[in-house]
Amino acid sequence: MPATDFSTFGRSILSLRRDQQVHSMESGGHEGTSHELELEAFQKQVAERFNDLASADSDQLLSIPWIHKLLEVFLSCQEQFKSVVSKNKGLLNKSPADRYVMEYYERSVKALDVCNAIRDGIELIRQWQKQLEIVYYALDNQRSIGEGQIRRSMKALIDLAIGMIDEKESNSSFAHRNRSFGRNNAQKDNNSLGQFRSLSWSVSRNWSATKQLQAIGQNLVAPKNNEISATNGLATAVFTMSYVLYFVMWTLVAAIPCQDRGLQTHFHVTRQFVWAAPVLTLHDRILEESRKRERKNVCGLLREINKIEMCARHMNELTDTIHFPLSEEKEGEVKQRVQELGIVYYGLKDGLGPLERQVREVFHRIVRSRTEGLDSIG
Amino acid sequence: MEPPGNDVVAFESAEKIILRWDSTASEDAREKMIFAGDRYEIDRYLQAVDEIQRSMEFATLSDDQNKANSAIQIAMARLEDEFRNILIAHTNPVEAESLTDSSPLPEEDYEDDSPLTKDLEHQESNGSCSYRPTNSIREIDLMPSDAIYDLRCIAERMILAGYLRECIQVYGSVRKSAVDSSFRKLGIEKLSIGDIQRLEWEILETKIRRWIRAAKVCVRILFASEKKLCEQIFEGLGTAMDDACFMETIKGPAIQLFNFAEAISISRRSPEKLFKILDLHDALSDLLVDIEIVFDSKSSESIRVQTVEILSRLAEAARGILSEFENAVLREPSKVPVPGGTIHPLTRYVMNYISLISDYKQTMSELIVSKPSTGSRYSSDPNTPDMDFAELESQTPLALHLIWIAVILQFNLEGSPELREMVGDDCLRKLTGKFRQAATNYQRSTWVTVLHCLRDEGLHVKGSFSSGVSKSALRERFKTFNAMFEEVHRTQSTWLIPDTQLREELRISVSEKLIPAYRSFLGRFRSHIESGRHPENYIKYSGEDIETAVLDFFEGYQVSQHIRRRSQ
Repeated sequence: MPATDFSTFGRSILSLRRDQQVHSMESGGHEGTSHELELEAFQKQVAERFNDLASADSDQLLSIPWIHKLLEVFLSCQEQFKSVVSKNKGLLNKSPADRYVMEYYERSVKALDVCNAIRDGIELIRQWQKQLEIVYYALDNQRSIGEGQIRRSMKALIDLAIGMIDEKESNSSFAHRNRSFGRNNAQKDNNSLGQFRSLSWSVSRNWSATKQLQAIGQNLVAPKNNEISATNGLATAVFTMSYVLYFVMWTLVAAIPCQDRGLQTHFHVTRQFVWAAPVLTLHDRILEESRKRERKNVCGLLREINKIEMCARHMNELTDTIHFPLSEEKEGEVKQRVQELGIVYYGLKDGLGPLERQVREVFHRIVRSRTEGLDSIG
Repeated sequence: MEPPGNDVVAFESAEKIILRWDSTASEDAREKMIFAGDRYEIDRYLQAVDEIQRSMEFATLSDDQNKANSAIQIAMARLEDEFRNILIAHTNPVEAESLTDSSPLPEEDYEDDSPLTKDLEHQESNGSCSYRPTNSIREIDLMPSDAIYDLRCIAERMILAGYLRECIQVYGSVRKSAVDSSFRKLGIEKLSIGDIQRLEWEILETKIRRWIRAAKVCVRILFASEKKLCEQIFEGLGTAMDDACFMETIKGPAIQLFNFAEAISISRRSPEKLFKILDLHDALSDLLVDIEIVFDSKSSESIRVQTVEILSRLAEAARGILSEFENAVLREPSKVPVPGGTIHPLTRYVMNYISLISDYKQTMSELIVSKPSTGSRYSSDPNTPDMDFAELESQTPLALHLIWIAVILQFNLEGSPELREMVGDDCLRKLTGKFRQAATNYQRSTWVTVLHCLRDEGLHVKGSFSSGVSKSALRERFKTFNAMFEEVHRTQSTWLIPDTQLREELRISVSEKLIPAYRSFLGRFRSHIESGRHPENYIKYSGEDIETAVLDFFEGYQVSQHIRRRSQ
């Protein structure tokens, strides 16, 4: 098919919006080659997957199961992208198509550091889960709840609060901890816990999630028409995949604690792409979440982190007003809060392990795609 | 009212002790540490804890239970502080001397020592090391045994009271910071994949070398010793307590350690990286045995898996680099032979590369045999190298390169028996054959026309009464010979054949054709020239002059235009 024909055909595919998709399929006329159909299918399926993600309600958005789904979406998109690229190997040896593809693979390497940082962040959340476990174990299924259990829970909740303080503030709050230690120990203990916080990151002190995201999103602009036709449409597939990579990494950084976490990155995508609408919707919703009053200074937007904070707050409020012996009403309240906490605890216990493994899987697949991709071009 | 029973009395006096040491209650309790004091005080406290624990099991009234629970909680909070304090007092990073042993015991020692080492295994180690027979692990004592005893006393009680989670937390956070200090001492850095990609290769080589040394110490000494410490404190006290504490301590640092090797394994491939990558591969491969031993539990599976993955990626990278190198050589586009005819820089590079490869022969064979490349390039027999190169007349660049390779191989293989063995006599013979052919071609192309000047035909005039030599033709011949020889002399003196033996050989092969032909020509025809005018214009050189001139060939120097003439 002559290039000029395709560019108009291609443009009409890409400018389809969701509600027009059905019509275009029926509007006979052009008989796309299998290559063009494949490219179109790729765009459509990316859009479908993101529509599915965007349909999550406010409780599901940014929860561990949802993040799981997000990563699955990334993996499916990448697999499909790989197959589109490999089926069009013939095109690849003519630049600029191979240059675009190489650019994607180099961009994807930058995501690897994000994966590693997220792995650290998950480990940090796991530490908080362990504090919750103490509270849950102390108060759940007790024949009667006495002062001992309450004090134990309070102690764990204080540790939890310390652990969750944003890294920026961590140095100042240590002085105000209301733990009691022997005088000799205060100094040493400050050091050991203070060290614990900064040592939980396995990256160097000057690594920045914000900068890494900026590097991933650098030069990420939609291809022009001449570029699209010069690469027989492959440039749009590359752009799409790059955008998916960028968005997924951005979301991970938004959700999970990591060093120098920032959400101020720019998303430039015009609505001419079918998948632009759901992606931008998700982006807006997540930004909206970050602007909510109670989430402004949080260390990660993960839904479960919010739940941990809420549980801890409820529990603290409760224990502040507790007098012994407990009235039946009070005991009922405690049991209720413990149940609530138990749900959060089990959610973390069951969810963090698989999430960590999946982040590792994303890491591996990015590496493997790149190796295979570069091999097939080179 | 009944007097309080013995149980109640025991409980109350125990409770008093516990309350006395409640750190939230009194300044005094905060200032002193029980375990820093005398043994009597320690034992008294521990007994009090035991008493409370006992009474909890027998308490029936919820009031009593609550009292006991409250006392237990205060005791556990106190014990947690004591536990932390003892740990912190012994977190000095391991002494440098213990850490710098990077070379494991050679295998022979193990064979000799095995009955002895087996004994050591079962002994309580009084000295600072214990050896295990089948690997290079060397555990050192991280803490004095009295501290370990105290820690164990506390841990026992905390676990019995159901406070094991707090115990693990405290243990992990303090020991982890100790491991991190040791990491700093070993020079283990926190580098991101981006950092490593941006670093120059020479710097990375140094870092890799340092990492290999550090990793051996980490796995075989540091991690192994931490594991031993966990066992000493926690073994038998609760389900896999020792393992939980070990993982809490070591998981983060281990991941940080192996992240570096992982980053190297995914870095961009280029030929000069081959050897360091092989070093890294071999080092990690050696460590695998020890890693399997140190990280032998279910919870440490992810670490084992990660190292195996890194190993296979390093192998893949090595294979990839080698085949890319192969491609690069085969595709080498330069068709221009090097001015001066010396060894092409690519050839020299290839030779150095290949000789280094022969040093890594064992590893490379394993890697390649385990995954031989498929492709039409390769004959079915992996041992015969693919030698189908275009004919020399067309002078493909690779052929030229290989000729020189053959030359070097032929003359330089004494120093590299592995290389010679790898290349094989068969291959060598083939290459030598090509070399000989090249030499012959050289002869032909250069000297045939020169020697043509010295031939007999065309000089004799038919049917004359004199000796029948055409003087004009003869003069022409001499002039042409001189001009050609001077030209050849001028250019081929600047050609460099670095190998002295080859240089000699070629010069000899030139001389043995040229000199007799010239002398004979001179001898037969000089009288005709000398009988004419200006013989010096035609007979410029004597036989010796030509001989001497040939000595200039292939030296790589520019010589003066005029060939020295010894005689006239």
